[in-house]
Amino acid sequence: MPSVIEIDNLKVMLGRREILKGISCRLGISGAGKAIGLLGPNGAGKSTLIQTLLGFHQPISGSARVMGYDCHRQVRQVRSRIGYMPESDSFIGNMTAVSFLRLMGEISGLPREVALEKAHETLFHVGLGEARYRPLGTYSLGMKQMAKLAQAIVHGPELVILDEPTNGLDPQARQRMLKLVREMKEDHGMNVVLCSHLLGDVEQVCDEVVIMKDGLVVHQADLEAERKSNRRFVELEVAGDDSTLAANLAALGADALSEGGGRWRIVMPAQLEISDLWQVMAKLDLPVRKLTHRRDTLEEIFLKAVGHLQRTPGEAKEVVVNGSL
Amino acid sequence: MAVYKRGYERYDGPLTSHTTRLLAMPRFAWARLMDQKLVVILLALSMLWPLLCGGFIYLANHLSLLQGFGGNDLGKMVEINGKFFLIFMNTQAVFSVLLAALTGPGLIAPDLANNALPLYFSRPLTRLDYVGARMAVLVGLLSMITWIPGLFLFIMQSSMAGGTWFAANWSLGVAIVGGFLLWIALLSMVALTCSAWVKWRIVAGALVLGFFFILAGVSQMVNSILRVEFGTLINPTRAMYIIWSAMLGVEVPSGPTPWECVSVLAALVVVLAMILERKLRPVEVIS
Repeated sequence: MPSVIEIDNLKVMLGRREILKGISCRLGISGAGKAIGLLGPNGAGKSTLIQTLLGFHQPISGSARVMGYDCHRQVRQVRSRIGYMPESDSFIGNMTAVSFLRLMGEISGLPREVALEKAHETLFHVGLGEARYRPLGTYSLGMKQMAKLAQAIVHGPELVILDEPTNGLDPQARQRMLKLVREMKEDHGMNVVLCSHLLGDVEQVCDEVVIMKDGLVVHQADLEAERKSNRRFVELEVAGDDSTLAANLAALGADALSEGGGRWRIVMPAQLEISDLWQVMAKLDLPVRKLTHRRDTLEEIFLKAVGHLQRTPGEAKEVVVNGSL
Repeated sequence: MAVYKRGYERYDGPLTSHTTRLLAMPRFAWARLMDQKLVVILLALSMLWPLLCGGFIYLANHLSLLQGFGGNDLGKMVEINGKFFLIFMNTQAVFSVLLAALTGPGLIAPDLANNALPLYFSRPLTRLDYVGARMAVLVGLLSMITWIPGLFLFIMQSSMAGGTWFAANWSLGVAIVGGFLLWIALLSMVALTCSAWVKWRIVAGALVLGFFFILAGVSQMVNSILRVEFGTLINPTRAMYIIWSAMLGVEVPSGPTPWECVSVLAALVVVLAMILERKLRPVEVIS
């Protein structure tokens, strides 16, 4: 099975600026129903990459393929397999949601009757069933986001590209959006590309992550594998003399990284519990100001990838031994 | 099963052809246009002159009905020839400009104002498809008040006047259809370009009217101040009148030749197409 996205030394210029500077990667497996997270700070080139995959920009060199089709030369085949939810408001203001989705369905290739049926079905699915006969211009921001999602999936595409889908949503609506995205891949077998600068969104939904910075792919990770490794990350803040803490934790099999000022980041092996940490603090008579723990690694991966953190705790042993950056 | 109970399922059936997809856009646009009372009223008003012309043709071919009113003299006045159809075409051209100014801006401007172009262009549609689909709306609408009634009048006259008249004047039918199609192409391009140029519908509508009226004024100024006749070339309405006159075999007014007018209008269409190409992008790139 071909990869969902194959990019080979892709360079794209907008005006006189080179936005994508020769990126290469292979993401997802076609038909597997996986979600790929596209992360990066503002201006990293995420949206340009998405727009290039859709055939909006012509590469100056290299190639990009979606489901095995070239994004520049076989743009019609590519687009007929994609559903796209743009970042900014995109709709036809004086159309009702049903008419809008029906039109989008029909120009995606759905027969007339099917398009009408799917428009209703999809609007109920995204929670706009009761508002489906209202003009889109009267919708709230959250409803517009849902309508944008609905138009992206009304024709049942193989790949759905979502550009910042949770922008402007309240926490409840955000959770609903993420739930819908999870359902798209798990229940309906769609591949999803989720472009966001919100780590939490990517973490909740995605199986793979690509981190971009300054037009380059700086990191690519399989989040599923990371989760399976079940490493536990702890952020600790203590008062007093913590010079022997690294050695004591190393004796328990934990890797610790001092960030200065009594702040530590610790990677604990699966068999170690938080209570073991408390015992070490008690033994060293270190007052604990703060202790938080979580199982994810995405924040560390991201910060390291974009250059805000020199090393991921637990990755480089020599750093842990001397206990400083 | 009720739709709200059914839940979402991916569609995996056969897809429609590219042409069917394209035709969906004009169909939706037509439905929206016909919801506007002003459009329907103007469309109805545009049919009045063809009806009157139909009446003239009927009377011209049934002079016996006018015997009590000096029928023979009146018959000479309403002789059905190239001049008659030129007057018909000119009048309908005015209505077509008004209709294009009313309907054209609503075709592209709202898509630009609401940033809807990425939604169209992320589907298997090219910019040419999009413009073609939008133009089809105008071509269909303007055809209803131009060449279709024109052709109907020509057929009516042919059937009433007989085969001899048709054999001598068949070129009039070709001129009516061809002349109006040229006009519709020009008018549609102007309306679509104005609609793509400004995002506000009302301003775009005013721009369409302004395009024809202001250029007519400028052309008069050029001719008067410089004491020339080539200023007519920048008046699309007058240039088209010259082309129609030539096509209908009517005496061509002095000034530029029909071929010069064709060349200038063709160049104008190319410029309008270039502006459309520049404005219709799924994403705007700022250099």
